[in-house]
Amino acid sequence: MFKTPRFRSIAGFALVGAVALGLGACSAGGGDDASGDGGDLTTIGFVAVGPEGGWRTANEKNIQDSFSEENGFELKYAPATNGDQNSQITAFTSFIDEDVDAILLSATEATGWESILERAKEAEIPVVLLDRGIEPNDTELYTSHIAPDNVGISASAAEWANEQFPDGANYVVLEGPPGLSVVNDRNKGWDETVADNLTKLESQSANWSTEEAKSVFETILKANNNDVQLVFAQNDEMGLGAALAVEEAGLKPGTDVKIITIDGTKAALEALAAGRLSFVAEYNPLFGDTAIDVVKSALAGETVESDIVVPSVTFDSPEAATTALPDRQY
Amino acid sequence: MSNTSSGAASFLKTSVKQPYIWAIAALVLLLIINLIKDPTYLGISVNAVTGDLSGNLIDILRASAPIMMIAVGMTLVIATRGIDLSVGSVMAVSGAVSMEFMHDAGDGSLGSALMAIALALGISAFLGLINGVLVSIVGLQPFITTLIMMLAGRGLAKVITSGQNTSASNEFFRWIANGTVLGFPVVFVIGAVIVALVALLVRRSALGLMIESIGINPKAARMAGIRPVGLLIFVYILSAVLAGVAGIFSTASVMTVEVAKTGFSSEMDAILAVVIGGTSLAGGKFSLTGSVIGALLIATLDKTIVFLAIPSSATPAFKAIVIVAICLLQSQRVRALFSQRRARTSTPRKEAVSA
Repeated sequence: MFKTPRFRSIAGFALVGAVALGLGACSAGGGDDASGDGGDLTTIGFVAVGPEGGWRTANEKNIQDSFSEENGFELKYAPATNGDQNSQITAFTSFIDEDVDAILLSATEATGWESILERAKEAEIPVVLLDRGIEPNDTELYTSHIAPDNVGISASAAEWANEQFPDGANYVVLEGPPGLSVVNDRNKGWDETVADNLTKLESQSANWSTEEAKSVFETILKANNNDVQLVFAQNDEMGLGAALAVEEAGLKPGTDVKIITIDGTKAALEALAAGRLSFVAEYNPLFGDTAIDVVKSALAGETVESDIVVPSVTFDSPEAATTALPDRQY
Repeated sequence: MSNTSSGAASFLKTSVKQPYIWAIAALVLLLIINLIKDPTYLGISVNAVTGDLSGNLIDILRASAPIMMIAVGMTLVIATRGIDLSVGSVMAVSGAVSMEFMHDAGDGSLGSALMAIALALGISAFLGLINGVLVSIVGLQPFITTLIMMLAGRGLAKVITSGQNTSASNEFFRWIANGTVLGFPVVFVIGAVIVALVALLVRRSALGLMIESIGINPKAARMAGIRPVGLLIFVYILSAVLAGVAGIFSTASVMTVEVAKTGFSSEMDAILAVVIGGTSLAGGKFSLTGSVIGALLIATLDKTIVFLAIPSSATPAFKAIVIVAICLLQSQRVRALFSQRRARTSTPRKEAVSA
């Protein structure tokens, strides 16, 4: 009996709240337009991935810090909801509708961006892809793609593996979620470079997650009677999970099983310094300054290179990790 | 679980009639497939270095514990005609709270581990209370309520850890997921004890019957003098607390909370376990035994995929095929097709009506 009026009042509150939010968004949009017209700040929409791991946090913080008000920018940060592409497309559309000056995009999925990029092009808003590329890679649709070279980085990891195991070894690949351009590129660089006498036992996705990687790798170890000498983990978190699985099986990471990871977060370098990982290839997240240069020249109407590679380094010994650790920003 | 007191023979007899018999069959089939690939699959040995029992079965038990927790909570919620989509996010919140607390405490003592567990379960219970109040008193639909909590919970976990994956070191907390009791994984032992307690609670009192009666016919239940408000709040709190336990299990195993990954899409695993176990999503009669078997099946399936080295791009499809097959086997109509076709008058008449 009492349920209905009470529900109505709650529904009413919710409605008022929703309207207020909507109005708030409108007024915020209007305000930005005004400031844009004043020519003080350049409005940038950042369609981001959001919390994912240490690397992503460092990268997005660096972008947010670089596009600061002191540097003449107003950055609107829109992280995806749990890595959902739809939420990114929604954010992207609203940035076009708000008529921002430029859009930065780190896509959660490689495909499905053509129509929305077409719209941005019609609205004459330059789009800069950060880190993640799109497929099919149509350079007409965006201004520039700034990223470290995934293919090159995993190729350098494979070269190290070839040096370490001249007589061959059994190895396992722990991948990110299938379909991502990062995963495809890291697979490509590795597969092209790795020597023939290294045998791939299995390639499994552990969804960038430590917990899943641990669970996956403990089973792989059992399936192969611990006869695995090398793990190529496509990010640090999965490598750390594999190290835990190795320890639990009573083996010694670094001696019995060598683990390669990509990204170079602080946690991974600490593990490398402690000998739990064997090789860490950095995937440099700090390219905010490059992004600023690209956005500025795109807005000035200059031509920008469509593919910009961010330089990265590798760490192959505990000593190298120990030296690099004090200055590690992420 | 209601069958535990009776003998093994009568348990087998009753099991054969249960819908989860197909889940057991699938479980056995998966184990046989693994055995064919590697004849030593079921072997359990003592690890020379760590001194613990080790083997694929032990791994499966360990992996099934968190799924078992959320599946049991989900079973009771579903029995009331509800659903709890927020369990995965509550896992993340619980993990985030405990990791953040132990990270700040930084002393690795038993005290801080216990405090972290208490805090995590307390906050989980509070989230469950919100779900329960919104569903029972306010009368919002369970789907919407817990969907909101699913989004809000993940957001809360990110706020607690400021969006960072947070690690902590505490040997006592780590022991929960990685330690052993008499060689058996602690996490499975704790999980089994909790399931037994919940089963005792709902089956040895009228609670289980009252929950079923709400699910079967809420109006009739109310007329019979059963007050749904308290019961609904109870099941949502229980579900959230169990999800909190699952969150502790899964973060303790790596001593890291991954805000975007911990418990992600676990609600799907829980719902699947419940459905595989033979509890109808329409509410009413429920089977805790079935859900536990469902949880074991999902854990076995996940492990089998890796053990057989099925390519990662094919894993979702493989998982889906197995689950669809089980659901089909459980469906009345499909079973009727397989059973002998008796010349029943009702079947043609039904067809005539529908045509």
